[in-house]
Amino acid sequence: MTKVKICGLMEEQHVEAAREADAIGFVFAPSKRRVSIERASELAKLVPVSTEKIGVFVNASLEEIEETVEKVPLTMVQLHGDEPDELVRAIKVPVIQAFSIRHKEDIQRLESSAADFVLVDAPGTEYRGGSGHVFDWSLLERAEIEASRLILAGGLNAENVEAAVIQTAPYMVDVSSGVETDGRKDEVKIQEFIRQAKGDSMQQTVEKTGFFGKYGGQFVPETLMKAVKELEDAYMEAKDDPAFKQEYHHYLSEYVGREQPLTFAKRLTDAWGGPKVYLKREDLNHTGAHKINNAIGQALLAMRMGKRKIVAETGAGQHGVATATICALFDLECVIFMGEEDIKRQQLNVFRMKLLGAKVESVTKGSSTLKDAVNEALRYWVTNVEDTHYLIGSALGPHPFPTMVRDFQSVIGEETKRQIVQHEGRLPDTILACVGGGSNAIGMFYPFLKDESVRLIGVEASGEGLDTEKHAATMTKGTEGVLHGAFMKLLQTDSGQVLEAHSISAGLDYPGIGPEHAYLADIGRVEYESITDKEALEAVVSFSRLEGIIPALESAHAIAQAEKTAKTMSEDEILVICVSGRGDKDMATYAERLEGLA
Amino acid sequence: MNRLKLLKEQDAKAFVAYIMAGDGGLEKLSEQVLYLQKAGVTAIEIGIPFSDPVADGPTIEAAGNRALKAGVTLDKVLKEMASWTFEVEVPLLIMTYLNPVISFGVERFAKECKKARVSGVIIPDLPYEHRQLAHTFLKKEDVALIQLVTLTTTDKRLEAILQEAEGFVYAVTVTGITGARDQISEDVRAFTRKVREKSPVPVYAGFGISKVQHVDMLREDVDGFIVGSAIVEAFYNQTIEEIEPLIQAVTAPHSV
Ligand SMILES: Cc1ncc(COP(=O)(O)O)c(C=O)c1O
Repeated sequence: MTKVKICGLMEEQHVEAAREADAIGFVFAPSKRRVSIERASELAKLVPVSTEKIGVFVNASLEEIEETVEKVPLTMVQLHGDEPDELVRAIKVPVIQAFSIRHKEDIQRLESSAADFVLVDAPGTEYRGGSGHVFDWSLLERAEIEASRLILAGGLNAENVEAAVIQTAPYMVDVSSGVETDGRKDEVKIQEFIRQAKGDSMQQTVEKTGFFGKYGGQFVPETLMKAVKELEDAYMEAKDDPAFKQEYHHYLSEYVGREQPLTFAKRLTDAWGGPKVYLKREDLNHTGAHKINNAIGQALLAMRMGKRKIVAETGAGQHGVATATICALFDLECVIFMGEEDIKRQQLNVFRMKLLGAKVESVTKGSSTLKDAVNEALRYWVTNVEDTHYLIGSALGPHPFPTMVRDFQSVIGEETKRQIVQHEGRLPDTILACVGGGSNAIGMFYPFLKDESVRLIGVEASGEGLDTEKHAATMTKGTEGVLHGAFMKLLQTDSGQVLEAHSISAGLDYPGIGPEHAYLADIGRVEYESITDKEALEAVVSFSRLEGIIPALESAHAIAQAEKTAKTMSEDEILVICVSGRGDKDMATYAERLEGLA
Repeated sequence: MNRLKLLKEQDAKAFVAYIMAGDGGLEKLSEQVLYLQKAGVTAIEIGIPFSDPVADGPTIEAAGNRALKAGVTLDKVLKEMASWTFEVEVPLLIMTYLNPVISFGVERFAKECKKARVSGVIIPDLPYEHRQLAHTFLKKEDVALIQLVTLTTTDKRLEAILQEAEGFVYAVTVTGITGARDQISEDVRAFTRKVREKSPVPVYAGFGISKVQHVDMLREDVDGFIVGSAIVEAFYNQTIEEIEPLIQAVTAPHSV
């Protein structure tokens, strides 16, 4: 299928509109579409990892090109001047050389190019680098050039691109002015051009979806592609169906017990001596944590798709219990994969799942924790994909999971927004939530993302300390990579092996972080802090005694960070903590680690 | 020229052997390659160990874990291959999950593959949609990016994938993960036949192929077979000579 490049992008919304393109171009040569390296690098943060980022140059030096490639970063270079072959060969990334075609002789120059790809364009008028005039494609017919090296440009637009593709079958088509209105890129035209170039139905079958900036995507084995696409379609359709939403909210209120209060924490506020502190009480949900919000949504969707078998992974057992609960309620077959280590740490939850009728499979591979449980759940899904839904427990995995889980958890933030306005007549100044895979945090944050005045802080686990090897601080210490179907941030070795994460809290013990969080960190919308095991345990004690609420270990991380953040805030400010779950499941750990409590 | 292009001209069925690089130590790799090429295989797929191999069953995962314990990395494997002075007579392929490649740098990966005389790369968790991540860099070095198609690949998708197939197309013969199976389902024949009718490049069947019966069943509908777990297991148990009949069954001229 011919690839599509949208060239000369300068603004965020146009980069977003070009999401389905295979390549985007930034112009670094004199042109009305010129961008600086800094600007291009800002825009590049919005581009999916699997999209080519091509820099356009005219007679630039090798140093200049290399610097730009590294800083943006670019994956390809396009040359529009009279660059000598030595320069073309010296560039490390793949090179496109552009030729203006007027006569047959021009074709000969193109045939002898040293570049990996050749781009044919109508002769430049005003500036070099494309003029938007269409040229006679038939000139190309006799050219000795492999179609797989050919990039077609010049005067293309949504109306003529299909014909151009059929006539020349190029590797890629390149458009700039053809997707503009009055000299500025036009979102609608960009999308229409991509559709026309790729053929509408084919495009849908193989489109690249689910990116948050460069993170996300669907990095799964081919066997699962049909299932993730079907799930994507089913979810897109269900989410706009009022009946589906109504059913989901029905169970949230009648079964889970929503809406949950936003409790003013008076003693905590006094003790911290700073902002007014409010607590979002996800601990009051049936089964004890926010996980059930997502489990209900996905189970309803699975049934809508005609699937009555559910597979899930669990770390702390909270998501496993929520899933087993919902499967009991809806009479679905349920298999839960859980690492052997976690089974030992969370005996009570294992028993709860069994009591609810779920089959609990012990995973003894790898580190025998959450990451390995996800691996086994994915393998089980690959093998039973036709009749089984994978009910993932956090804002992780291939698209549509991160989006879908976020949407099902957004009830947390939506309620909070309504409630704080009722209580205080305004939005809070700061909101904190703990981050494992990131579902309670994204559910809390999402409805506030556009409210720039609200500071959002995600809190991850730094285990025994950031300077040790025993932590789960993916944002602080992680690097980019692919795990469990998404491009995200990961704890990994130099050779790309995923590391074990460590936290006293089994629910934060994951070496990756949801792709949307990775993106929100990149653009600076959400800050990420980390809290050690010790700090979290101290927060458990003080919080329990000040507010009469024994928090889950995961939530205690958000509480511990809130105390630090509160110290920097004033009395007329408002701070909200997402108390993602209650501490019942952690009682054995508390009894052991807080021994001698007076 | 990329050696994979020669595969098209072959009459006999191809036998592609998968081995886990560094299972038993990296020094074993050249021995195993030499052994296999002498035994008459058509191509060799060299697996790179990964901590989270979700497309693999227990045999390959265990082999990968042994290799990881022995300190094997993508970098070391490519360096080892580049250092070989003996004559490699068959195309070599690298099979790796995406993360080690990203960590290594995709551009660098493509260049080092070329130096190591790698003809093609298989990345099971890099689907067609995202091939751009590696494809252009590999193309620059004339290394093929082998595509997989499966029993769950829809017809439209199959068409798109086959249009761009390079080297050969990897037809996954089970809905599941790698690992030796007793039975190959009957649907597989219709599937491989369909793929073969549409494919511009040879179609090789892989995943679960471990017995002469599997080969007999699919022989008419594929151009070759990829055998993994059975070979990995045999090298590990030092019973590799027991695989030779399977290689023979595939590559021997066959009269119907
Ligand atoms: C109470 C509680 N909070 C938080 C988490 C972390 O998950 P997430 O980051 O998806 O909200 C868990 C996970 O098990 C949990 O049980």
